[in-house]
Amino acid sequence: MAGEMDTVDSSIKTSPKRSQEDVNTVLKYAKLETSDVRPCVQTIFFSENLENDTVKLLELDATVLDALQAGDRVTLRGDKDDHAVLCTKNQTFDMKDAELSNSMLLLRHLDYGPDLPDSGPQEMRKREVFSVVHEYYELRPVKPKLRVLRQMLNENQYSGRECEEDDQHTGKKYTMSDFLNVVQASEEEIVAGLKRLKALEIEGKWRVLDFDFMSTVMSNIVHLAEERDWISTGVALHECLEVLQDLFLREVIIHVLKYYSIQTSDTNEDSDVYLFDEDKVCQFYAEVCLRNSGKFNLSEFLQVWDESVPMGMKTSLTQIQGMALVDRDSNPETISFFPADNLPEDVSGRFDYLFDTRKKWTLDEISPYVSDLTTPKMDVGALLTKYSRASVQNGIKVFSSRRTIS
Amino acid sequence: MVQIAVKIPNAEGTCKEWAMIELQGELETRHPVPLSGKLIGDLHFTHSDVPVLIIGHHILYGKVLQLEKPFAVLTKDFKHDEPMEQDHQQNATHRQTEYHVNAIIKKKILFKTRPKPIIANVPKKL
Repeated sequence: MAGEMDTVDSSIKTSPKRSQEDVNTVLKYAKLETSDVRPCVQTIFFSENLENDTVKLLELDATVLDALQAGDRVTLRGDKDDHAVLCTKNQTFDMKDAELSNSMLLLRHLDYGPDLPDSGPQEMRKREVFSVVHEYYELRPVKPKLRVLRQMLNENQYSGRECEEDDQHTGKKYTMSDFLNVVQASEEEIVAGLKRLKALEIEGKWRVLDFDFMSTVMSNIVHLAEERDWISTGVALHECLEVLQDLFLREVIIHVLKYYSIQTSDTNEDSDVYLFDEDKVCQFYAEVCLRNSGKFNLSEFLQVWDESVPMGMKTSLTQIQGMALVDRDSNPETISFFPADNLPEDVSGRFDYLFDTRKKWTLDEISPYVSDLTTPKMDVGALLTKYSRASVQNGIKVFSSRRTIS
Repeated sequence: MVQIAVKIPNAEGTCKEWAMIELQGELETRHPVPLSGKLIGDLHFTHSDVPVLIIGHHILYGKVLQLEKPFAVLTKDFKHDEPMEQDHQQNATHRQTEYHVNAIIKKKILFKTRPKPIIANVPKKL
């Protein structure tokens, strides 16, 4: 191998003490004058106790270094397959083993040129290499893998307090620390994931609401709102709770109402009036129609959907992008339930799945199904360029699989 | 899942800074003997701060590099807490393991050039 070097010929006993004279002799053989170098030489020895196997090097990202120095929680999380991630409180990094053919010699003390006197009497400083390593861990920021979070939450969905003891609700319920033990993601990312999955904490356990149960709660809220004429002015929370708290847990009512309301910057915790978010409410009614019906005749669906939403609200197909797919090629045109959540998390798996579902997609159609895969460096357009093939069909740009059809 | 904390022990924001010398290839002796305690070489700095390393019969000129991403020097450590969950022995043992950041390495001296031979005959005295 290039660059292999001999230490001092081992047949000659290296004296543990090295004299200035030895150093000067070697300098002379190297055709260097003592005046060519600073008067202080550092003699480098291997330690008597080399710690080659106990020391690991971890290449640090600036954010990880800051977190460590601030004393923030930094954790390595390994899974069964021995794949480890490193998490700060708000970021997740993949850990990759990097190997070098170079030798990295580690020293506890070493002086650099500017630390050493420029002139003066010759001096020797003994330095010890305590470890020689050839590998280190690299960190690469990654999107957290939250799929397992959804699976855990789905083990025991909440269907109301009267159902808690029945046979369908014997699945495990989880706390935050359970998630931290299982999910390879940082705490803040888990909290954000729980929010996205519409989970709430009931009696110390994180739960998602069973859809049918949630529809019952939502229908009750909407009926009350229609009765009290709150649709345009907003739901008065305390009045709403007073009426419905005998039927449902207060935290469940608040959770559902908040989810379907407009989150304004001045909505504080104590706010009493919640104004419905029209798009979300219409989305909810579309899901009620589509969820259990497979394919639906599009024009029939549009009519049923429009009739089901509260008075004064307007439905539009843009509201349900990322939830349902319209098939314009079939006769009659149809719509089917196709939620963006629960799709494969890895990018190529996602695209395979999408192109298996439908051969050609327009930009508007596919965007909601891939937008969660974007990174600051790669937007939807860049993702499509990399993972799909663009073509023009009837004057409209469509995207299809890059794979050749066999 | 195994969860291992990584921390700077008694972190008050400051961490020792250690050093690294990176050499091309491997350090070997002519005969397979343990390296422990052996001399590697003499490290000089010229007046213009160029590091010069003389190893055995070779001379190397290097460079001091500021690392864009510093290294943390980790060692495994065992916390001597009482296991929290007696019934999950496996789990409890894992929980005790920690990685300690003993120091940060922010710069290295890199010797990437092929070493130049300097002496034809090693004087017996050395």
